[in-house]
Amino acid sequence: MSAEWAWLLAVIPACAFIVLALFGRSLPRQGDWLGVLTVTSILGLLIAIFTKTFGAKLPMLNAVEWTSIGDFSLSHGIAIDWITLIMLPVIIIVALMVNIFSIGYMRGEPRYSWYFAVLQLFVASMLLLVLADNLLLLYIAWELVGVCSFLLIGFYWEKRSAVEAAKKAFITTRVGDVGLLIGIILLWKATGTFNIHELISYVEHGELGGTTLFVSMLFIFLGAMGKSAQLPFHVWLPDAMEGPTPVSALIHAATMVVAGVYLVARLLPMFEAAGGMMLIITLVGLATAIYSGIVAFAQTDIKKVLAYSTVSQLGFMFVALGVGGIGAGMFHLFTHAFFKALLFLGAGSVILGTHHHQEMRNLGGLLRKMPITGITFAIGSLALMGLFPLAGFWSKETILSAVDYGPGSWAFILISIASIMTAFYTVRLFLRTFTGEPQDAAVAEKTHESSLIMTGPLIVLAIFSVFAGFFIFTDFSKAFGLPGGISELIYLHYPKHFSVHWDLVGYSMALVVIGTFFGVWFYWRGSTERSTKLAEWQPAIYHMIQRKFFFDELYQFVINRIILGISYVVSWFDRYVVNDTGVDGSGELTKYSGFVLKHLQTGKVPNYALAIVVGIIMLSLITLVLRG
Amino acid sequence: MIPLENYLVLSGILFSLGVYGVLSRRNAVLVLMSVELMLNAVSINFIAFSAYLDVTQITGVIFAIFVVAVAAAEIGLALAIVLRIFRNRSSINIDEAAELKW
Repeated sequence: MSAEWAWLLAVIPACAFIVLALFGRSLPRQGDWLGVLTVTSILGLLIAIFTKTFGAKLPMLNAVEWTSIGDFSLSHGIAIDWITLIMLPVIIIVALMVNIFSIGYMRGEPRYSWYFAVLQLFVASMLLLVLADNLLLLYIAWELVGVCSFLLIGFYWEKRSAVEAAKKAFITTRVGDVGLLIGIILLWKATGTFNIHELISYVEHGELGGTTLFVSMLFIFLGAMGKSAQLPFHVWLPDAMEGPTPVSALIHAATMVVAGVYLVARLLPMFEAAGGMMLIITLVGLATAIYSGIVAFAQTDIKKVLAYSTVSQLGFMFVALGVGGIGAGMFHLFTHAFFKALLFLGAGSVILGTHHHQEMRNLGGLLRKMPITGITFAIGSLALMGLFPLAGFWSKETILSAVDYGPGSWAFILISIASIMTAFYTVRLFLRTFTGEPQDAAVAEKTHESSLIMTGPLIVLAIFSVFAGFFIFTDFSKAFGLPGGISELIYLHYPKHFSVHWDLVGYSMALVVIGTFFGVWFYWRGSTERSTKLAEWQPAIYHMIQRKFFFDELYQFVINRIILGISYVVSWFDRYVVNDTGVDGSGELTKYSGFVLKHLQTGKVPNYALAIVVGIIMLSLITLVLRG
Repeated sequence: MIPLENYLVLSGILFSLGVYGVLSRRNAVLVLMSVELMLNAVSINFIAFSAYLDVTQITGVIFAIFVVAVAAAEIGLALAIVLRIFRNRSSINIDEAAELKW
């Protein structure tokens, strides 16, 4: 019943995209209300679906046969299981808030209705991605969200930096996406199916394994790394901040970038069976979490700090998945979406309120001028740091306990360090932006609080940032229709209820306190005196952090020297060997031989007749000789 | 009864005359007449074999009738073309009508 309806979740916003893209400019208010209406209607539909899934047997499936060729038949369908049920409200609620916020934020921008059109297309593709029951449909949606991301990063295409950021995002994720496609094809070659549940059962029955499985899963993980901006594919996400800020909140914080986490969680039993993959996932996650935590220290653009924070938190999620904590990873995804969307929208409110200033050295003391933005931003920051009992606390708590349960002390220590870093850069961001004296009097003069259409979504998301963590408790989440709570599936193979371990709570709070202490020590009331001293004490290290450990320079070097060098050779070969000799050469040869041979054609009938007669005589002679 | 060989020799001579005519004549009408000679040589062959091999089978005779019909149609078309060529250039020397080439 409800599984058939679930198609509408993706179909409605797709229709809204078509309407907005074709007729958006002639609609009243350029159709911005249609976006809100669309997402509100699918929110209603989602609530209807939740009432159906309440206590129902999962997964709920609905598939239609797409095509069949010989023995092979391909059916596309949707599958609703508990992972989907976590993703759906995240996507829809954040999309609704971003749609509302954008009405205020994007007012007066060029291509206003096109912006909302692409937003609806993104919602449709993202919902299709989490509903898909097979890897092929998932891949289609995966590329669609990538296209939407590309279009929205490059929304201000008059700016060269925006164009380059869009290109960078598209190409970097493409490297991973090719891996994903290869992985999907390898799995299909081995089993003959794209269906995720069938693939998992193949693995569980031991019919798929060994090197084939490992290589396929490695390629699939490449796709997840690209989309979720894990080391070394992280470079596109901070640059993606060139897009409009609400887009950063929706696509580059809450939904699209977690598609990689979703994919790994979805296929986690297969990753588990591919020996060694789990360790790779853990290591990539840890490296990313710590690397981006460090880089976030030295960023001065508030959106860049948030971007690196997102990369770092995505690393946390991969660590959780890597140790088998499927529930922990998905739960961090769930809570992170709310408070990171809140922080990005808050940053958007700051940018608009200060008339397009997003460098921290021009800001400061905004709390008095923008109280609602400031307070909600503080709530989001505290949730991100993981303060008891806000949302981030519970999800970080589950990750810590999952890691504690899993691979042992080294991962636990590293994830603790990353956790301290989170608190530190978050405190730095808040103190330098919202407290102390305004750094730039001219900016402070014009600063004003944003209108209700922008502060409203901030308040709603702040409420979610406070309460979303309680979904870890079975009774709380069951009351909202989530299937038995996330907590029952914290570990892949050891279903176990989440319970509060007070020693772990104390430990995680201690981490927050340490990070906060350093943050406050360095940046109290927005002062940068101590941090400047620290930077001057070791300028080389500071420079390295500020330049993000030279990843961009390294990639530029590789592209300029190695890839362009190979391209030069290939293009030489193509130009001179393939084109001039092969293509043009055969054409010239044909022309020349025609030029020579055309003189055989005299146009005189007797000549032709003679040729016929001579030919017949020759043929007769040959026949006679051959017959003997 | 006249033996089969005589018919075949006659048909061979006629065919060779036709080939010689086609190759040596420059007058288009004469060329066409030579082609008719060749066709008639073939018809004689058909009828001779038909009569000598199996009298009940009339396949050869029917072929000969077809050859006559096709020859009539062909000569009608060809003479029309020759007429047009003569109208255009006041000559039916086929060596001069050699424009249809590269």
